[in-house]
Amino acid sequence: MNDISLAMTFVLVILAMYLSYKDKIGLEKEIIIGSIRAVVQLTAIGFVLTYVFDLDNSIATTLILLAMVYNASTVSAKRGKGIEHVKKISFVALLAGLVTTLGILLLCGAVTYQPSQVIPISGMVVGNSMIAAGLVFNHLKENFERRREEVEIKLCLGASAKESCASIIRQTIKNSMQPSIDSMKTLGIVQLPGMMTGLILAGLPPAAAIKYQIMVAFMLVGAVAVTTFMASYWTYKSFFTELEQLRQS
Amino acid sequence: MVLLEASDIRLEFQSKTILDGLSFSIYPSDLVGVLGSSGSGKTSLFRILNLLQSATSGSVSYLGKDTSSYEPTQLRKRIGYVFQKPYLFGSTVEDNLTYPYHLLKQKPDFAEIENYLAKANLPKDILAKKITEFSGGEQQRIALIRSLLIKPNILLLDEFTASLDEENTLIIEQLILAEHKQQNLSILFISHNLAQAKRLAKQIMYLDKGKIAFYGSNDVYFAQKELQK
Repeated sequence: MNDISLAMTFVLVILAMYLSYKDKIGLEKEIIIGSIRAVVQLTAIGFVLTYVFDLDNSIATTLILLAMVYNASTVSAKRGKGIEHVKKISFVALLAGLVTTLGILLLCGAVTYQPSQVIPISGMVVGNSMIAAGLVFNHLKENFERRREEVEIKLCLGASAKESCASIIRQTIKNSMQPSIDSMKTLGIVQLPGMMTGLILAGLPPAAAIKYQIMVAFMLVGAVAVTTFMASYWTYKSFFTELEQLRQS
Repeated sequence: MVLLEASDIRLEFQSKTILDGLSFSIYPSDLVGVLGSSGSGKTSLFRILNLLQSATSGSVSYLGKDTSSYEPTQLRKRIGYVFQKPYLFGSTVEDNLTYPYHLLKQKPDFAEIENYLAKANLPKDILAKKITEFSGGEQQRIALIRSLLIKPNILLLDEFTASLDEENTLIIEQLILAEHKQQNLSILFISHNLAQAKRLAKQIMYLDKGKIAFYGSNDVYFAQKELQK
């Protein structure tokens, strides 16, 4: 695709703005700002990645991964506003998901620790884990509020903090992992995901692109599981005092 | 032997004094009716005794040891607490009545459960039934059995018959009286029903604006009330 062809695709943005304007939806400003941000951010990251790929330095690559995890953890932590230590929990849970997944991929020889391989893969892992962690925080907050009486009654009977909210934790994990599992179930029949699409567009035969996509699907569900379990079993503690009393909401 | 001792308990919330220096002792086999108008601090007192919340100052000791120095799970198994609203969890009655055994790390004793069901005038085939199938009175009886299965030494009952009809009220009263006598269970119950307090309690604690205005025998309390008429 040449630059002129790319520029011409901007007509789709104009179409979206026209539809918004015509029906008085009021999204024209958002659409233009979003489009400009996408172009600027992707151009900038294009230059950065070119530099980092050329540099091919493990430390620089690791720093980029850490920056990715930090940024994602800030976003997911916003869903858990008011939860004690939520930023720390978010960062560590996302990092654990990434380290586990990447570690297994490296050990299996599925990828090598080169920026051109590790950075795009980590982006997918961290992005999906970020959404799962956000769901964990949101679900726990909502359920500790809604099922407060149930938790206190179990505490009264002599349940530990963990026992008193075991069903909330289980439901949280299930709800937070469900989108990733659903997404995996529909691979190939509903969606042809990003990595596979990209490889096919880049000229790789579909049969080869599929292998990468299968790896990505396994990797994402693994990372989401690690992040979700860690975030859930760490975060519930923030809702209790040292004497296993439910904190005032 | 003092079972439970409260020393100068104060509770403040949002610069408002809820409990203002409560001190009292509970002995084995006490049966205390806790009376007082709404907002006098009765429920807050129970929450502190069960360690569901902490007092702003003062202390509570159980068998001579500060309650905050116990493992909360162990202390709460000794000092049971039944809420006013009979909240049942899970989906069946069995989920609720086997839960205490799970907490005690024991296998469910269905003979014991059936014995309690009989005492509470509930059929034994209700175990598999959905919790949503029961009336408020039946749910309260199930919630009470759930607490009794833990075998506490002290039981706190917060307006345990407030929304029940006379028939259910009497069944539950008989059940707790039987436990009180047979198991030597000490009971504190909150009630707005003076007739119930007169019928059940050995001692009366009357709270007024967060302070103990009276703590003594049932006879003395109701004799004083008669004189005030």
